Amino acid sequence: MPRVLTIEDDAVTAQEIVAELSSHGLEVEWADNGREGLAKAIAGGYDLITLDRMLPEVDGLTIVTTLRTLKIATPILMISALSDVDERVRGLRAGGDDYLTKPFASDEMAARVEVLLRRNSVPLAQTRLQVADLELDLISHEAKRGEQTLNLLPTEYKLLEFLMRHAGQVITRMMIFEEVWGYHFDPGTNLIDVHIGRLRKKIDAAGQTPLIRTVRGSGYAIAEPV
Amino acid sequence: MPLPNPSKGWSSSTSRLLALYSFLFVAWSSILMGVLYFEVSGYLNKLTRHSLLQRQHLFAHMSGKQLDDALIASQAFEERSFDAYGLFDAQFNPLGGQIRQVPPELGLDGKIHELSRCLDADDPHLPRDSCDAVAIKVRDGRWLVLVRDNGSLFVVTRIILHALLWGLSLTIIPGIAGWYLLRRRPLKRIRAIQASAEQIVAGDLTRRLPLSARRDELDMLAAIVNAMLDRIERLMHEVKGVCDNIAHDLRTPLTRLRAQLYRIRQQAGDDSPQAEALEQAIGETDTLMARFRGLLRISELEDRQRRAGFVELDPHGLLLELHDFYLPLAEDGDIDLQLQMPEQLPALHGDRELLFEALANLVGNAIKFTPAQGQVLMRALSDGDSVHIEVHDSGPGIPADERGAVLKRFYRSEEGQRHTGFGLGLSIVAAIVDLHGFELEVGGSELGGAKLVLHCRR
Repeated sequence: MPRVLTIEDDAVTAQEIVAELSSHGLEVEWADNGREGLAKAIAGGYDLITLDRMLPEVDGLTIVTTLRTLKIATPILMISALSDVDERVRGLRAGGDDYLTKPFASDEMAARVEVLLRRNSVPLAQTRLQVADLELDLISHEAKRGEQTLNLLPTEYKLLEFLMRHAGQVITRMMIFEEVWGYHFDPGTNLIDVHIGRLRKKIDAAGQTPLIRTVRGSGYAIAEPV
Repeated sequence: MPLPNPSKGWSSSTSRLLALYSFLFVAWSSILMGVLYFEVSGYLNKLTRHSLLQRQHLFAHMSGKQLDDALIASQAFEERSFDAYGLFDAQFNPLGGQIRQVPPELGLDGKIHELSRCLDADDPHLPRDSCDAVAIKVRDGRWLVLVRDNGSLFVVTRIILHALLWGLSLTIIPGIAGWYLLRRRPLKRIRAIQASAEQIVAGDLTRRLPLSARRDELDMLAAIVNAMLDRIERLMHEVKGVCDNIAHDLRTPLTRLRAQLYRIRQQAGDDSPQAEALEQAIGETDTLMARFRGLLRISELEDRQRRAGFVELDPHGLLLELHDFYLPLAEDGDIDLQLQMPEQLPALHGDRELLFEALANLVGNAIKFTPAQGQVLMRALSDGDSVHIEVHDSGPGIPADERGAVLKRFYRSEEGQRHTGFGLGLSIVAAIVDLHGFELEVGGSELGGAKLVLHCRR
């Protein structure tokens, strides 16, 4: 069972993080201040750390920097209440792997944790991705459903690749927008849904078993039909 | 926001004072010289008449050879021929003297006359212009014409005029030079103040107006403004501090609320009667959070800390990406979304992500407010090294009197009430545009709806 360390000074937020991650089958430990958190993180054995940016005693940014200096590569999801736009860049540059701003939705947080935990499940050298009878060739950028070659636009290809690299995991709209388009603001309308809709029409043509699943309230997942 | 240029339509108080002093001096010296001229000329006129009168009396009692000798002797003393005479017989035939002809205007009454044109003679020594003249009949029956030139009067006039001219030129030329020099220094200081003020207007509230060591009126004014800026900066910090505290205090409860609702929803299961109500509550919380993030985002942008991340970027790529991003949404709404741009566009200097966000807001709004079978047009134009990005739509448009208000926080036009949206979109656009020093123009489109133009100036 993957072990997660949550460093968070607000007890209620921490409880929610713990509850949410536990419900995903993770074992979560909680540290309510920076000093204890850093000590636990260094002691090791965790598969992931969720880290509040502003903490009593030792600051979140200092914890990341210290861990990375000590060559501890545990994936870190930074959770920040700081509203500064540059704060994300600073957090990621210091060695954070992902960044989430408060107020956040706990399913969004959980989805990001899952992605970080399984970040290395697809080897970089892999040249083909497959979900059921859907195949994606990463070299020729060719997509096939069964024998049928799919004609994808560049954005649709990027979107499908992102979903398939994390097959079986919930991917939120925000994650899609950040990964596929590379932007971090809220595009507002149902834009991501429209793009997913397009992709869906091409992949899950009439009569075929749908592969892209909508996860209510959270996002999307591509998976083998059960 | 451009500040007024001090060299256009503004005059310095130094030049105004100098001009006033110059005018007063010219008026004063003209009056002085005028009075002097009037007095001196009156006096000289009197002297002339007096001298003529003396000669008249002298010669009136002589006759024959005595008169001839006396006349020749009197002429010998006259170096500058102010005086002249002519001796004529009873038939006015010339007998002696420089005057060979009796002036036609001269009355033969023994009184002194002032003649405007004195004599018609070729002799350069003879007075020609105005003169005093008298014709007398001497005892032996001959006529004697005595003339005194008013030339000395002209000389005095000339002297006074010269004095006036010299006085004026010696005053006005150094005056103009002084005006130029005096004016330059305050203008230079005003320009320095303007440069600082522009940086303050552009958002750098830590800047202050420059003070010189002179401690003059300009410095007093600058010091007063600086004190005011200190106060404004402190107030802004206080307000921002309060806002940040409120934001921080709200963020955590919002996160908890969303988390707890979500947890209850998970526990309730899909068939629970509360499931739908909980979904709605979560949806409302998400809206609240999005609105809240929008507000935070505007205050971040207004902090203007992001200019350091500005780069040169190609508008083509940005606009193509934007078009691709919105095309599916437009097509789903049966709206024709088009992109028009020339092959060559100058580069933009800015933050790519923020510009994409601003333009995405404009295009997103245009699509939102355009009914099915309508049209949305994105068009880029270049003008020198500026780029103008226009977003047209065939929707209901923005009434002229609401165009200024749409950029304010939470504003939404009456027409817009039917659509979802936070009313913050255009305010975020305005904040981004402001951060870049660009301009946003709201107008009417040739497609019948609204036209929003982003003027990206270098």
